[in-house]
Amino acid sequence: MSEQRFVQVEVVRYLPENKTPEKDEPFSQFFEVPYTESTSILDALQYIKEELDSSLSFRWSCRMAICGSCGFMVNGTPKLGCKDFLRNYPNGVRIAPLAHFTVERDLMVNMEEFLVHLEAVQPFLVEEQQAKAQGVQKYTETYQQTPAQLAKYKQFSNCINCGLCYAACPQFGLNPEFIGPGALALAHRYNLDSRDHGKAQRMKVLNGHNGVWSCTFVGFCSDVCPKKVDPAAAVNQGKVESAKSMLIQMFKGNS
Amino acid sequence: MSRFKGLHLEPLWWGLFSAGGVCFAVFLPAVLLVFAVLAPLGVIHLNMNALATAAGSIWGLLFVGAVICLPAFHAAHRIRHGLHDLKLGGGLWSVVLCYGAAALISASALWGWLALTSWF
Repeated sequence: MSEQRFVQVEVVRYLPENKTPEKDEPFSQFFEVPYTESTSILDALQYIKEELDSSLSFRWSCRMAICGSCGFMVNGTPKLGCKDFLRNYPNGVRIAPLAHFTVERDLMVNMEEFLVHLEAVQPFLVEEQQAKAQGVQKYTETYQQTPAQLAKYKQFSNCINCGLCYAACPQFGLNPEFIGPGALALAHRYNLDSRDHGKAQRMKVLNGHNGVWSCTFVGFCSDVCPKKVDPAAAVNQGKVESAKSMLIQMFKGNS
Repeated sequence: MSRFKGLHLEPLWWGLFSAGGVCFAVFLPAVLLVFAVLAPLGVIHLNMNALATAAGSIWGLLFVGAVICLPAFHAAHRIRHGLHDLKLGGGLWSVVLCYGAAALISASALWGWLALTSWF
């Protein structure tokens, strides 16, 4: 067996209970962590918590890039802890909480700041108002959809709500009211779904200054997305939809 | 007034930005190659009289629109959002300054085209 390799891991920590009126700042703590080819950033954090300092706090769940809990800034880039490996950082690595969010404790951020925007775009199938009002039961049946109708939105449906795109977006950093790449991609995903009837309600949110129009097409959101959703493309297709929607509103009035 | 509720000019600026971006990518490299590289180097010879006639036609107007006006609005939009990224505005003055400059450039280019046409 080869000799055990170690790498220095810097973890940015914040403990609200240590807060004093003079000092309320995060601090760095350094650890030597053994690693192999298969040690992920999340494995490193778990090693630290179990073997070195049990007071470290971070979120995680599935370890396979599907729950979206373990987003961190790894050497300044938003990454999923379970999808990035220590072998990529032989000269040391710095793990910090996701940028642009309020830090609650150590590596845990307030995801509510993303979830309010997600909720605002109604990321679910909205039933036809008429059918609802008339109490029509037809939506208890299975929805039918052709492969072509599915292909329209499939790419945008892989979002796991991890928030990496929000940590990558400079516009969200400048303006926390910006709906943001993840929620706008999901709004687009449901707008493109043949089973959905909620587009008119979503367009009101997308048309505003804090909707699609706050995006300046930096495109870093699509680079960091661990599920290849390509939110930048969704937002820009959303701009075309929004321009059309506002033109129609100007000539027809609000329906 | 409900039909104008919530409307703003951003789609208009973005539309000009998009159209200008296409012109920037498609026409400007060819224009620069012909007028800024090949002609000065003497690789091709431009007939100035024929050019002046063509510039005064409808093709001249299309040239002004695709090579000057739309790219000017494209650049103005980029500069305005660049200023916003540098936290230098984003307010009304940057709108007036950026698109005003683009409008001025466009207007003078169109005036130049009008001066070339026979009906001026």
